[in-house]
Amino acid sequence: MGKSAAAASPSLAELRARAAQRFESIPMPVQKDKGWEFTSLERFDPSAYPAANGATTTAPAHQPVIAGAEIDLPAGVIAGSLAAAAEEHPELVQKHLGSLVADADKFSAQNTAEWEDGAFVYVPAGVRVPDPIVVSAVQGTPGTAMHWRSLIVLEEGAEATVAEQYMSGSEDLDAYFNPVTELIVGEGAKLEYLCVQDLSERSWILGTQRADVGRDAYLHWVGLGLGSGQGKLRMETDITGRGATARVTGAYVGHGNQHIDYDTTQEHAAPDTVSDLAFRGILRDRATSVWSGMIKVDPGAQRTDAFQESRNLLLSNGSHADAIPGLEIEANDVRCTHAATISKIDEDQVFYLMSRGLPRADAERLLVGGFLEVIAARLESSDTLREAVSAALERELETALA
Amino acid sequence: MATPEVAVPRDDLTGIKDGYEYGFHDSEEGYSFKAKKGLNRQVVEDISAHKDEPQWMLDFRLKALEHFEARPMPKWAGGHMDQIDFQNIHYFVRASEKQGRTWDEVPDDIKNTFDRLGIPEAERKFLAGVGAQYESEVVYHQVREDLEKQGVMFLDMDTALRDHEDLVREYWATVIPPNDNKLAALNSAVWSGGSFVYVPPGVHVEMPLQAYFRINTENMGQFERTLIIADEGSFVHYIEGCTAPQYTTDSLHSAVVEIIAKPSARVRYTTIQNWSHNVYNLVTKRAVAYENATMEWIDGNLGSKLTMKYPSIYLMGEGAHGEILSIAFAGAGQHQDAGGKAVHVAPNTTSTITSKSISKDGGRASYRGLLEIAPGAHGSRSKVVCDALLLDEDSRSDTYPTIRIGEDDVDVGHEATVSKIGEEQLFYLMSRGLTEEEASGMIVGGFIEPFTRELPMEYAVEMNRLIELQMEGSIG
Repeated sequence: MGKSAAAASPSLAELRARAAQRFESIPMPVQKDKGWEFTSLERFDPSAYPAANGATTTAPAHQPVIAGAEIDLPAGVIAGSLAAAAEEHPELVQKHLGSLVADADKFSAQNTAEWEDGAFVYVPAGVRVPDPIVVSAVQGTPGTAMHWRSLIVLEEGAEATVAEQYMSGSEDLDAYFNPVTELIVGEGAKLEYLCVQDLSERSWILGTQRADVGRDAYLHWVGLGLGSGQGKLRMETDITGRGATARVTGAYVGHGNQHIDYDTTQEHAAPDTVSDLAFRGILRDRATSVWSGMIKVDPGAQRTDAFQESRNLLLSNGSHADAIPGLEIEANDVRCTHAATISKIDEDQVFYLMSRGLPRADAERLLVGGFLEVIAARLESSDTLREAVSAALERELETALA
Repeated sequence: MATPEVAVPRDDLTGIKDGYEYGFHDSEEGYSFKAKKGLNRQVVEDISAHKDEPQWMLDFRLKALEHFEARPMPKWAGGHMDQIDFQNIHYFVRASEKQGRTWDEVPDDIKNTFDRLGIPEAERKFLAGVGAQYESEVVYHQVREDLEKQGVMFLDMDTALRDHEDLVREYWATVIPPNDNKLAALNSAVWSGGSFVYVPPGVHVEMPLQAYFRINTENMGQFERTLIIADEGSFVHYIEGCTAPQYTTDSLHSAVVEIIAKPSARVRYTTIQNWSHNVYNLVTKRAVAYENATMEWIDGNLGSKLTMKYPSIYLMGEGAHGEILSIAFAGAGQHQDAGGKAVHVAPNTTSTITSKSISKDGGRASYRGLLEIAPGAHGSRSKVVCDALLLDEDSRSDTYPTIRIGEDDVDVGHEATVSKIGEEQLFYLMSRGLTEEEASGMIVGGFIEPFTRELPMEYAVEMNRLIELQMEGSIG
């Protein structure tokens, strides 16, 4: 599939060829490298995971977080396979694919070189898509790599909600998931994008997602980290248009031996822009997490208002959390704030609830649920998504607190 | 305003606002020994022989030189460090053969320098003792008699090694091993001078011990080495203040400071760093705090071209407490890469790190820190707060905190803000009749007030004066 798409469009082929070279020439990151201090790839060899030949249709191992439904798409809206779109709408795909994520790191280069399929969503200027567009990627073949690529483009004044979920075909699937997502939010457009990472706990995930938020545009980006064994997912937001707003919301729940790594950037390249990032994480057993977040304010991006917070709850003695917030500010008329906390459940609150007659386990579950509920509550545009996220976190807590 | 006296400019300061206040330098005639530029095994052996050191110290130096040569230069902080030419530095200069015991014995031109820095007056007022480091060795050193009677040692490091070799050897490099980092290895190989402080159990040194450091010879590196041991239940406050003459080529200052706070001891170490704007100030400072001990770093960075300094506290004993209060002022051409590290190894330990930075005229101030709670350090609490002020659009502020938590029963928080001076605050002060410059100076003074209020009074006065000088002409 990927091959035919490449053949149909030389510039995509060029992109692939360059990226393939980059993938070969970039060394595997080691823990001495900046940004990889707390995530080890020592036991990971991408060449050990060949791409699964041909598209496989697999049912996910468990209930998807978001149920897909038939929806009516307004005229001009495209939502479907990226590989198909590369053939049917080559000019649209060529214009945007690789514009935000090409080959900056080894794994994005691998995706750009080898992507087979993914999602393409295109909303023309001024069109509003009323229902959420749901995209599901299910990896089914053990020992293989899936290079999944998504491209979401909202033209001027368009509005849409897109929910994407990464899943595995079995609970113990040992595989490598290599996603790239590009979100292009045009002038005055409004996008709510939810990405649920719900892979098997033996999966490697190494991927990059990047958004470009144009003039007066609005993006709310929600990432959930529920599954995967090890790896790193980048969530990068470029705020390039004056007056634009980006909200980024994240939650992760780790248990067993899971290692979850989110690397976020909020880069303000234009004046009068707002960014607001909130991450919350729960860790149990021997699970570990890394959240590194950087706010960059470029010279000239005056009147930037940027915020980031990372809050972590450690539920067991063997769990471990690293938080690396960062600020690089090169404009002066700004308000940039960040906060990070790592703590255990507040014993005073447990005591209060127990004094009201709740057993300790229930009290703890209530408090952990409340801690995460803040994240679901940030999803404002769609009741469907808010409820789905709430339910997914609830389900995850059942497992984590069992 | 809480501190209305802070920042109203005074007429008598206007004459010197364009020049670096302490930018004079003395004639270099009369130096008794000056090593050739450059670094090799022979230079290290010469330094050691010149000081008539025991064999173990020479061995230590040579081992450290191997570490220095083997390690790559750190690449972070913008790669500034590549600009340092280690072969274009004098590694040892002895200003005077003889150690002065009284002020009268100090050579006249050296005295002249210190007079201009105001040391004798300061001493008359309340100093417990003065260890004045002129070039690489301490030339003047006095510990008040009552301290000597209490058994407090406040010596230059060379004398301490000569007269109390066993004590020095017991603690030497136990906090910062020579292979800790490239600059610590360099210091370990070529160190000269610095202070040695020992406070016996239960002794409270009521007045601060202070040492002034000076760099005078062009292209001379200064590698002092300070070791402070506060025995059980004791207290000491050590103050280090720096000013340096201004030169056109770059100088290197790379100190190592080791502090040991034994159970229930309390040590406060205050620095006001005001090197001239061509000095690379790359310093390793670390303290260990045992059961119920308290360690406090009060660290002010105003001068230098590039400062890289992250005072650290290892909380090794249950109930230990660490406190780091850091301010940085980065003006034109300056990069202050400062911060602090707290590593909780023992249970029920607490720490706070407070950082304040001001960037102006294209200066860059970075906070770089580490907060780590090791497995087993249950019940530990820590709070890190970083605030930065950006005074103009050419300046830059960075915050790079790292938080590593390997223990669930902890309470850890970090917050940081970066902003400009509030328009409402300016408007309020200006509506009361202050000029914009006066109002800005007052707001900046208030911003760093948590730092100034921890300083002894005369330092606080000097600090406020320095900030005033830095703020003059800041309104474009």
